[in-house]
Amino acid sequence: MRGVFNPVKPELLVVAVGRVLRAAADADAPPDDYRRSQLLSAYSITRNLAAEQAAAPALLLRLRARLDELLAADRRPAVRTAAAAVDAATDPTQIGEALVVLLADLRATDPDGPLRQHLQRTLGQLADDEVAALAAGPPRIAA
Amino acid sequence: MSVAPADAGRAAALLAALQEAGSASPRASVTSLEQLEGGWSRHSWTARVEDPAAGTDSAHDYVVRVRPQGALLDTSLRQEYDTYALLVDDPVPTPRVHGFVDDDASAFGGPYFAMDRLPGRSLNVWRPGDREVLQRSWDDGRGLAEDLVRDLAAIHAIDADRVAGQIPLRSFSETVDHWRGIYEEVRLVQDPVVDEAYAWVRSREPAPVAPRLVHADYRIGNCLIEDDRITGVLDWELSFVGDPRFDLGYMSLDYHAGKFAAPGSPLLNATAEREWFHARYTELTGVPVDQETVDTFSALGALMLFAILSTGIRVYADGGTDDIRFLWSRFALPALRQDLSHLMGWR
Repeated sequence: MRGVFNPVKPELLVVAVGRVLRAAADADAPPDDYRRSQLLSAYSITRNLAAEQAAAPALLLRLRARLDELLAADRRPAVRTAAAAVDAATDPTQIGEALVVLLADLRATDPDGPLRQHLQRTLGQLADDEVAALAAGPPRIAA
Repeated sequence: MSVAPADAGRAAALLAALQEAGSASPRASVTSLEQLEGGWSRHSWTARVEDPAAGTDSAHDYVVRVRPQGALLDTSLRQEYDTYALLVDDPVPTPRVHGFVDDDASAFGGPYFAMDRLPGRSLNVWRPGDREVLQRSWDDGRGLAEDLVRDLAAIHAIDADRVAGQIPLRSFSETVDHWRGIYEEVRLVQDPVVDEAYAWVRSREPAPVAPRLVHADYRIGNCLIEDDRITGVLDWELSFVGDPRFDLGYMSLDYHAGKFAAPGSPLLNATAEREWFHARYTELTGVPVDQETVDTFSALGALMLFAILSTGIRVYADGGTDDIRFLWSRFALPALRQDLSHLMGWR
C-alpha cells in the first residue's frame, strides 16, 4: 500500500532500489561520488518506504473513517459522488482524486462552508501523521 | 593530477572554449577534470587549467556547468550564463564566467560554460552537522546570517530595466500559472492539498511592487561558505524578474530549515532568527516585510518545489533517467505537503 497521496507504487520503488544494488554488485571499482550518492539514496528509500508501509494501513483506516463521518449525512450530489468514490477506492490515490473533485466543487459552491473546513483539517491531520510516521523511522530488526 | 583518457575530449573542448573567450593562452593545458555529484538540471565538472602565460599564478580552477540532454527542468543555460555575467561587478559574490558553448552535441553532452571556482563549500541543511555549523555561526557573530541578508538585499537592488531582455519578467499570476502548468503536465497522481494550495495562493495575490531580480532558489544551501562568510551565491537557473518577496517566502519554508520528517532548525533557513532577518532586510532595502505576504510566497515556493520534485519523479518513472535521487524525492513530498497545510492554517 502506498503512502496516501504519493506517486509511484511501493513495488516500483523496490525495483528501483534493486537496480542500484545490481549496478553496485556489477561494478569493478569502488563507487565514485555519484555512485555513492545512488547507493545512499537507495538506502534512504528503503528506510522511508519501510516506515511508510508500517504506518499506511492505520493512516488509511483513520482517513476513511473520518471521511465517512464527514460525508455520510450530506445529501448534495457532489458529496454523494465523492462518498461513493471513496467507498469504492482500492488505492489511496483514488481517494485523493475524489477529494480533489469534491473540494473544487466546494470552492465554487460553498467556499466558506463547514464541510470544506473539516476536509481541510482532515487533510492537515493526515499530513502531520504522515510526516510523523516517516520521522518514526522503519521497524527495527532484532539484533 | 591528470585527466582520465575518457575525459580527454572534454578537456580539449573546455580548453578551446577558454582560449576562444580569451581566458587561456595557447600554451594552457587542462590538468584535471572531474564530474561533481550534484545537479539535477545541470551537470557540473571541476577543472584545473595550468597556463604558463599566466605567470606565477599559473593554475586556475574552474567549474563547468552543462545542460545535459533530458535535463530535469527546461531552463535556459544561456540565461544562467547571462545572469552570472550581469552580476560580476555587483556586490553579490558570484563567479566570473568564461565562454558559452551552445552545442547540444558537445563533448560534455550539451551546452556548457565555464566559471571560476570560488573558495568555500556548500552546506546541506538536512544534515544535522551542517545545521550545527549554521547555529554556531548565528550564536557567534551572525556572519553567515548577515551575508545571507546582505546578498539578498543586493540581488533585490537590481531592477527590471537592468536585466531587460536577458531574464524573463514574470508577474505573480504568471509565476503561479508557470508552476501549475508544469505540475499538471508531470504529476502522476492528484493531490488535494496541492490543489487547495493553488487556490489559496491565487486568492491572496499581494499588491504588486516594483519588479526586481529574483534568484528564485535563494537559500543557504545554494551559497558557498568559508570562514563564516558567504563566498558565492550560485544556482541561478530559476531566476526571473518579478516580486522579490518570492525569495523571502521561499527561504522561509520549514523545509529549508532542514525539516524532512524530523523537524529542522528553528532558525530561518537554519541560519538566522526570522524577526532579525526580516528587520535587517527592511533596514537594508527600506522595504517592510509583511508576514502574511511572506506566507503566500512560502506556499508558492513549496508549490514550485512540488512541481520540480514531481518532474524528477516523472522523468524517472518514464525511463528518462536511472538517477534514483529523482525517485527518492517522492519522500520529500509529505514534508512539503505539511508545510503547505500549516501555512494555510489547517490545524
